[in-house]
Amino acid sequence: MFRPRALENIRVVDFSWVRAGPWATRWLGALGAEIIKIEWPDNERGRLPSTTTPQDVEVNLNTSGNFNDTNVNKKSLSLNVRTAKGLEIVKRLIALSDLVIENFSSRVLEKWGLGYEEMRKIKPDIVYVSMSGYGHTGRHHHYTTFGPVAQAVSGLTYISGLPDKPPAGWGWSYMDDTGGMYGAMCALTGLYHRNMTSRGQHIDLSQMVSSVPLNGPALLDFTVNGRGLRRPGYPPGNRAHWPSTPLLNNHRGPTVAPHNAYRTHPGEYNDWCVIVCYSDEEWQALVQVMGAPSWATSPKFATVLGRLQHQEALDEHIEGWTMTLGKYELTERCQAAGVRALPVQSAEDRVERDPQLRHREMYLEMEHPALGRHKVQNAPFKLSETPASNHLPSPLIGQHTREIVEGLLGYSHEELRSGFVDGTFWPANRARFPYMEEMLR
Amino acid sequence: MSGAEPLSGPLGGLRILELADETGQFCGKLLGDLGADVIKIEPPGGEPSRHVGPFLDDIPHAERSLSFWYYNTSKRGITLSLETVDGRQLFQRLAATADVILETFRPGFLAALGLDYESLQEQNRRLIMCALTPFGQTGPWRDYLSSDLLHMAAGGQMASCGYDEADLPNAPPIAPGGGNAWHMGCHFAYIAIMAALVHRTVTGQGQYIDASIHEACALTTEAAIANYIYRGEVLRRQTGRHHAVGPTPRTQFRAKDGAYVCALVAGRLNPKYVRELADLLDSYGMDGDLKDPKYQDPEVIAASTSHIIDDLVTNFIASLPSEEVYHAAQERGFTWGAVRAPEALLDDPHLNDRGFWKEVEHPELGRSFVFPGEAAIFSGSPWGISRRAPLIGEHNTAIFCDELGLSHAELSVLAENRVI
Repeated sequence: MFRPRALENIRVVDFSWVRAGPWATRWLGALGAEIIKIEWPDNERGRLPSTTTPQDVEVNLNTSGNFNDTNVNKKSLSLNVRTAKGLEIVKRLIALSDLVIENFSSRVLEKWGLGYEEMRKIKPDIVYVSMSGYGHTGRHHHYTTFGPVAQAVSGLTYISGLPDKPPAGWGWSYMDDTGGMYGAMCALTGLYHRNMTSRGQHIDLSQMVSSVPLNGPALLDFTVNGRGLRRPGYPPGNRAHWPSTPLLNNHRGPTVAPHNAYRTHPGEYNDWCVIVCYSDEEWQALVQVMGAPSWATSPKFATVLGRLQHQEALDEHIEGWTMTLGKYELTERCQAAGVRALPVQSAEDRVERDPQLRHREMYLEMEHPALGRHKVQNAPFKLSETPASNHLPSPLIGQHTREIVEGLLGYSHEELRSGFVDGTFWPANRARFPYMEEMLR
Repeated sequence: MSGAEPLSGPLGGLRILELADETGQFCGKLLGDLGADVIKIEPPGGEPSRHVGPFLDDIPHAERSLSFWYYNTSKRGITLSLETVDGRQLFQRLAATADVILETFRPGFLAALGLDYESLQEQNRRLIMCALTPFGQTGPWRDYLSSDLLHMAAGGQMASCGYDEADLPNAPPIAPGGGNAWHMGCHFAYIAIMAALVHRTVTGQGQYIDASIHEACALTTEAAIANYIYRGEVLRRQTGRHHAVGPTPRTQFRAKDGAYVCALVAGRLNPKYVRELADLLDSYGMDGDLKDPKYQDPEVIAASTSHIIDDLVTNFIASLPSEEVYHAAQERGFTWGAVRAPEALLDDPHLNDRGFWKEVEHPELGRSFVFPGEAAIFSGSPWGISRRAPLIGEHNTAIFCDELGLSHAELSVLAENRVI
C-alpha cells in the first residue's frame, strides 16, 4: 500500500559522520526526506574497521553493522569537498536542497568556503543545522567532544552511580543518540518555520550545551535553593533516596521505597528486575503478590516514611523473593496485581524476548547488499497518515554518486568518469569497489 | 534593531493543548520555549506533578515545585475536568481551533469519554494529536504501569550502565537519574509532532500519532542492539565508559580536587597522539619517560598501554584540579572533560558567552530565578523561555471568557461544580 511520507520532497545535504549527526538524518530519512550523505573514504569513522561486522563477513567500508543501522534511508555521494571541483558540485547540490546538516568542529565548513553566509547566497531559504561539540559561538567553540565528554562536562555523568563510588555514568554515548535527537528536532523546527515564512536560518546546536537542560530540576534546586548535588547520599544508585543520608528529593520523581533493582532467578549477569511502589496501596499489592510473608506485614513497612527508614531491610527481603522467580514471570505477576515492575533487558532480551517490542514491530528485517538480511530498528512512533519506515538499507560508500551527479545535477557521464580519475569522486590511488566500476561503464 | 518587533520563536502561531503528566510535560516545554502557544490543561486543583519535589525553600506546595516549574515554562494554564459533560464540551471547542493535542492518558481513556481523535477531527481536519504513553496504544504491555526507573530497566539503559568488577564486585546495573526516560520519550514525540506539522504545511491534513516511551528508550543505547544483531554479542557494564564485550581500559581518573576527569586515551594511542600527550604532560613536568623515542614505535606503545594510562596519565591528572586538566587538554586538542556536578555549570564562561542562563520572573513572588536555557541558538527565530510555569488555572479567564465567550458568572458556576 502506498503511503505518502511526511517529508516528501525535502532534500538534505548531509555532511555528518560517526553517530550524532547520522542518527539525526536517519530519522529525517525514515520520515521521507531524501538524505544525500557526502562522504570520503577514511573520513567517516562510522564505517571504519568495525566491532559490529558479522564474524563471517570481510571487514571493509561497507560491512559495519552499526553503520548500517545508523545510516538506513540515505544515499551516498563520495566526494572530495576540499577540491575546487568538489566544492562546485556541493554548491550545485545545496542550490537544489532544503537543509544542510553537519556535525564537524565549529569552523570546518567555513574553512571549506561553505559557511552559512555563503550557503544562503546559493539558496536563500536554506536551513542549516550545525551540530558541533560546543557550538559556533562562545569562548570554547573550538573544544571537541565525544558523547562521554559532553556527558561529563554537562553534569550528566555525575548523576549516575552509587554514593561514595566513582560516577557510573552512561555506558554508551547517550549524547550522541540524544544529540542526534536534537539535530533532528532542530532540522524539523527550522523546516516548519521556513514553510510558514519562506525564511531559512542557521541553527547553532551544541552537543555539550544540549546536555545541560536535561538536568533542569537539579539546576533549579541549586539556583533557587542553593543546594547542589555534591552531597552525601548522591547519586543514590537505583533508589530514590539512600538510607541514612539527609532526606532530599533526588530528581527522579517522588521519594519512595521500594525503588530499586533486585536480582532474579537464575542469577545470571542480566537477571535483574526493578520494582517501584508509588503509594501504600501499591505496596500492599506487592505484599499480596509476594504471598503476604510475615516480614512484609510488619507495621514498620506500612508507611512510606517507615519503608524509607528501613529501606536496607526492605530491599533485602524483597530480593529474597525476587530471586525465586524469572524476571519475565515476576513482571507478569506484579503487573497483573497493579505493581510497577519490569525486567532489566539486555539487547538480546529486547530483540528476542520483549513481547511488547515484538508486537509493535520494533525490529524488522531488511536486506543489505554487503551484510545480508538483518533486523533494523524502527521508529518509536506511529503516524497514522505518513508512517516512518526504513525503506533503504544504509548506502555502500559512493553507491549513489552517478545517480546524483548525472541524474540530479546534470553532469555528463564523461565528467563523472574524469572525476573518478582526478580524485574528485574517489581517491585516484585507491582501489574501487566493483559497483563503482559498474557505475563508470 | 531598536523599535523593531521582537522576533518570534519558530513555532509562533501554533496552538497546542497539553494534557500531560510528568511523562510528557517536557515535550510541551520544548514546543512552548520554541514559540508555540501551549495551553496546559490540568484537572481542577492542578496536575499531580505539581507535588514532586524539591520545593521552593523546601516548603511543599502545588505552586512551589521546582520540577513543575522547570518542565512547564512558556505555557499558559487552565483547569478543566474532562469527566464532566461541561468540561468535555469546552474541551471540544478548544480542540476545534487547536493545531496539536498532546496527551498522556492511559490508552482508551479519552475514547471512553468520546474525545478520541476521530471525533475531534470531525470539526478540525488540520488537528494533529499525539498520544505519548509508556508502551503505546497496542500490545500486551499497553496497560502496564511504569516509572522512569522501570523504563530505564526495560529500555536497556541499565544493562549498559554500572561498574567494573574491580570497582565494585557483583554491582547492580545502574539507572542514571534525572528522569531521562521521560526526556527520551519527549524528544521522539517532538520529532513526530514536527514531522506531522511539516506535512500539514503542504497538505493541510492532520493526523494521529501513537508514540511509545518504551520504544524511545529501547532505541537509545547506541550500538548495543547492533552488537547483538550482527554478532550475537551481549555487552558488559564498565565504570563510567562504554559497554563492551570484555573489560576495557579505564577512562575516568581522579583529579587532585577529588573530582574525576574523563580522558579517552586507550584506542587512540598512536605515535602522534603519544607525542602530543608527552607535550601536554611535559607542560606540567609530568611526562616521565614518555618523550623517549622508543614510544614512537607502535609496538612499544601497544606493549606500554598500561604504563601510559595507569602510571603517566593517572599521575598527571591526580596532580591537578579537574578543571585545569580539562582546559589544558582541550586547548591542546585533546577531547577530554571534567566530570562535573550540575551546579558547576553555573560558573562556565562558555555558557555565559552563549547567553545560556535565563532570568525567569515569578511576579507573584516578587522574585526571579535563573533557569537553564536552550540547546541551540536559532539565528532567525529565537528558542527561549517566554514565561514561568502557569499557576493553577491562571489563564481560565483569558481562555474561557475572553476567547470562548463565557461570562464571569458562568465561570463561577463551573468552578463551583468542579468543572474548572
